[in-house]
Amino acid sequence: MITRIGASAVSAVRASRELWMVFVSTIAGLLRRRSAPRGELARQLHAIGNKSLLFIAVTLGFIGMVMTYQACLQLGKVTGDYTRVGSQFLRLIVSDFGPTLTAMMLATRVGAGIAAELGSMKVTEQIDALRMSGVLPIDYLIVPRFVACVIMTLVLTIAGSLVMFAAGGLTATVSFGVNPQTFFDLGAVRPRHLIMLAVKAGAYGAAIPVVAGFCGLRARGSSEGVGWATTAAVIGSSFSVIILDFVISAGALWVTGGDL
Amino acid sequence: MSVALRLTGVHKSFGGHAVLRGIELALAPGKRLGLIGPAAAGKSVICKLACGLDTADQGEIEVLGEALAHRSESSLGGLRRRIGMLFQSYALFDFLTVAQNVAFPLEQRGGLSADAMATKVADRVRAVGLHGSEQKLTSELSGGMKKRVGIARATVADPELVIYDEPTAGLDPVTTQKIYDLLAADQARTGASVLAVSSDVVALARFVDEIAFLHAGVIRYRGPAATIADAPDPLVRQFVRGELTGPLDEAPT
Repeated sequence: MITRIGASAVSAVRASRELWMVFVSTIAGLLRRRSAPRGELARQLHAIGNKSLLFIAVTLGFIGMVMTYQACLQLGKVTGDYTRVGSQFLRLIVSDFGPTLTAMMLATRVGAGIAAELGSMKVTEQIDALRMSGVLPIDYLIVPRFVACVIMTLVLTIAGSLVMFAAGGLTATVSFGVNPQTFFDLGAVRPRHLIMLAVKAGAYGAAIPVVAGFCGLRARGSSEGVGWATTAAVIGSSFSVIILDFVISAGALWVTGGDL
Repeated sequence: MSVALRLTGVHKSFGGHAVLRGIELALAPGKRLGLIGPAAAGKSVICKLACGLDTADQGEIEVLGEALAHRSESSLGGLRRRIGMLFQSYALFDFLTVAQNVAFPLEQRGGLSADAMATKVADRVRAVGLHGSEQKLTSELSGGMKKRVGIARATVADPELVIYDEPTAGLDPVTTQKIYDLLAADQARTGASVLAVSSDVVALARFVDEIAFLHAGVIRYRGPAATIADAPDPLVRQFVRGELTGPLDEAPT
């Protein structure tokens, strides 16, 4: 029993160290700026951004509707005053829900895709073939996805947040008769909330391809190994989003002295 | 450079199972060495160790005059560009066409103009008999065609050391002979050192100068390819002749 726990702990520490090395190597590859095939960044921007736009918009739109509906329903039972629903909802979207929900969705779609692609290259020895040509797989495969994911997580966060807010406004107006001018009040959003959005989107956008790439590069065996890598990538990148959300939110609270 | 490849006292284990238990193997420059042995004896492991794609648990490996021990991945890039490797599973890039696969090592190496590279790739593709298939994706190719693309990619940059891991596995006898003729012509043209792993001993023996027999984690025998069927070691004789009964059944693996 103790041996098993010890072995698991050693394995977890080793995996954490390898994950950290993938992150460091990605940053180093970014600074080296070489090896990535021509046009790969544009392809990845399209694959991660354009192909996720509808998915993100629909998901965040529905979540925006449900959240506004529930908020109005509860407020109606307690005070019946809907005047601050829109402004507070927007503040929450900008400082937390927008980037975090966008990243959670990207973790499933993009994280799984990256892990499956790299995992299948690993088990078919294509990664070894890259290495035989003197190519560093992280530079060639992860760096372009990293750059594209950081950029597109920010873009999709903005798009998703707008859709979420608009869908919430529509729900409040149609279902509870809230005046649109009252709902679409931007007054509660301060520059620090926009900074939070940018920091969170950037951190999530960096974490997803690193975690998914790490899982893909660890794939072993055959299709079963690729399946394991894909599952691990979705769990790992979603978990990293939650952890980063906590760390960044806690850090922001500490920096602002609780005035968020 | 005294040797193209030298493994000294190399050990390698996977999950507690010792696959290589003190390998001693050397390949002289410009020579062709065949490596044979039972399935799962560790032949492919030796190929990967020789390229630095995996690391030995113990022992020393020297390739083209450079020691592999304690080398970082980035520092191995230059050495690997001097080695050509045909993987057992082809390992062709499935997102590239035939021509792009063959051109890949040249692109990464640099130093050639686009025209010179295109000419070299076209020559290589023609040499392996795939003229007209340049724009096909690898998923559209048969097993034999994939092997040929793999060979073209491994040899397009005229490497000093070429490692072929099962170059003819799963191919019919005619295609097998064509492939070995191609490999022999290539080696004669470039003078590269060759390590070839194969289970088809008869065909392999016609291609290489010497054959080494890997068994139970060590090089059990090494001798001229032409006389491998009459090797003094009964274990080797049984393996090469494909006899159902003999010392191979009782020997530890």
